[in-house]
Amino acid sequence: MRRLRLGDWAVRLGSIAFVLLVWEFVAPRFNPLIIRSPSAIFRAFFELVGTGELQDALGQSLRELFAGLAIAIVVGVVLGIASGRWRFVYNALDPWVSALYSVPSVALVPLIAVAFRSLGDPPRIATVALFAVFPILINTQQAVRNLDRSLLEVARAFNTSERRLWSDLIIPSAVPFILAGVRLGIGRGLIGMIVAEFFVGLVGMGYLIVEYENVFRIDRMFVPVIIVAAMGIILMGFVQWLEVRVAPWLRREQ
Amino acid sequence: MAAAERVVVDRATKVYNAGALNVFSELRMSVHDRETLCVLGPSGCGKTTLLRAMHGLIGLDEGRIVIDGLEVKRPRRDVAMVFQHFGLMPWKRVRENVAYGLELAGFSRADVDQRARKYIDLVGLSGFERAFPHELSGGMQQRVGLARALAMEPDILLMDEPFGSLDAQTREILQDELLRIYQQHPRTMVFITHSIEEAIALGDRIVVLTARPARVRETLTVDIPRPRTVAGVIAHPRFLELRDRCWHLLRERTTA
Ligand SMILES: Nc1ncnc2c1ncn2[C@@H]1O[C@H](COP(=O)(O)OP(=O)(O)OP(=O)(O)O)[C@@H](O)[C@H]1O
Ligand SMILES: [Mg+2]
Repeated sequence: MRRLRLGDWAVRLGSIAFVLLVWEFVAPRFNPLIIRSPSAIFRAFFELVGTGELQDALGQSLRELFAGLAIAIVVGVVLGIASGRWRFVYNALDPWVSALYSVPSVALVPLIAVAFRSLGDPPRIATVALFAVFPILINTQQAVRNLDRSLLEVARAFNTSERRLWSDLIIPSAVPFILAGVRLGIGRGLIGMIVAEFFVGLVGMGYLIVEYENVFRIDRMFVPVIIVAAMGIILMGFVQWLEVRVAPWLRREQ
Repeated sequence: MAAAERVVVDRATKVYNAGALNVFSELRMSVHDRETLCVLGPSGCGKTTLLRAMHGLIGLDEGRIVIDGLEVKRPRRDVAMVFQHFGLMPWKRVRENVAYGLELAGFSRADVDQRARKYIDLVGLSGFERAFPHELSGGMQQRVGLARALAMEPDILLMDEPFGSLDAQTREILQDELLRIYQQHPRTMVFITHSIEEAIALGDRIVVLTARPARVRETLTVDIPRPRTVAGVIAHPRFLELRDRCWHLLRERTTA
């Protein structure tokens, strides 16, 4: 993975500033029911913070997101490793994984709501987990299945034990793939979070979006949208940072 | 000269693909105590397969391989291998890679430390203990592979074209290092190669194999005295004769 240099950052920030600027000057020419300027959205942000609405909704959404992602990571990594290592588990699991992965996850959300018979957090958490689990599971599984055979031979040549095989070979070679899966899972998990909030109970960031759209407060509607985007960027950045910590051997300069 | 036989390959036969691919059959050879036996053969003739069988990583279809009187069934701790592809764990630093076999063999932490340091030093990698393999050149990576095997202080060292993928200059440097390490502490060694020069420089004897199914074409004795250096061997009057002999043996199409 390439690390960003100072020049890269300058271009990125410049690009954002340019778009915001154009937006700011173009927006007033349009109907305020369709588009509002960044400064109006900025003001709306403080209004929503002032009433405490935003904090409440954010807490709600983060709770669902983190719980769902935690479940997805545990389930995805455990099932991924098991199915990558043992043929039996792979065969038992693969039809379900293939089927569930090819159905658009959105189609399953009403089903989840019905299955849980509630409009509380559990079905929403389950939705986030469902959206996020597959890239993690499949990435982990592929990493374990495609274990470097020549290293496996080295391990055998030095009389490795099964336990050491896991700690020396299987886990470390899977870690970068697991983290890449988690990054993908975060993106899908955020979609799951919003979809669940639309369909199951109307709460959190999803609620704010729908609520302010209905009353034509486009400036306020944009606040949760931008915050969800920021959540994605921050979480993925965190995983990238984590990658450098837990997999320092991947740090190739240039 | 009745040197003790340490490794005996006795009518070894190996086939793949349900017999469709006959790698070698009825192969016989033996490795004497503290000699370097170079196995020279064309690419794909089954040299790696033979070495794997010597280390018990794969089984034979017929015949057997005996090391110090015991038939080889699985890797033994007094035999260590250096791999054609280096076989370093990318996520382990140099020190951990070298310590790998020692840890698995259950040495105490202090012994692991002391031996790892000693052999990192011996192969000239002091100062690189904390480097990851990808930060090293190919030659340095194979030094790690060599140190990992030597750290086991094995009675028998199996080397599978360890310098085959290195450039000519690096290869010669490592050949000299290996000669020096051997001269400090002679041990029994099987060294696989398809370089004639390398076989003559390093070997006490050379087994020349035919193309698949591999058979022993001829066994040559390299009567060039030690201590050797690669440059010294090449300049030796026997070198050209031996090289021509090997060259002819490898070229001759044999009707098997
Ligand atoms: N596990 C296997 N299954 C089927 N065929 C195999 C297997 N391992 C090796 N072979 C075949 O056996 C033959 C000998 O392979 P081997 O790797 O021993 O050759 P080699 O002499 O070491 O070649 P090189 O000089 O390229 O290293 C090759 O034709 C190879 O394709
Ligand atoms: Mg080979």
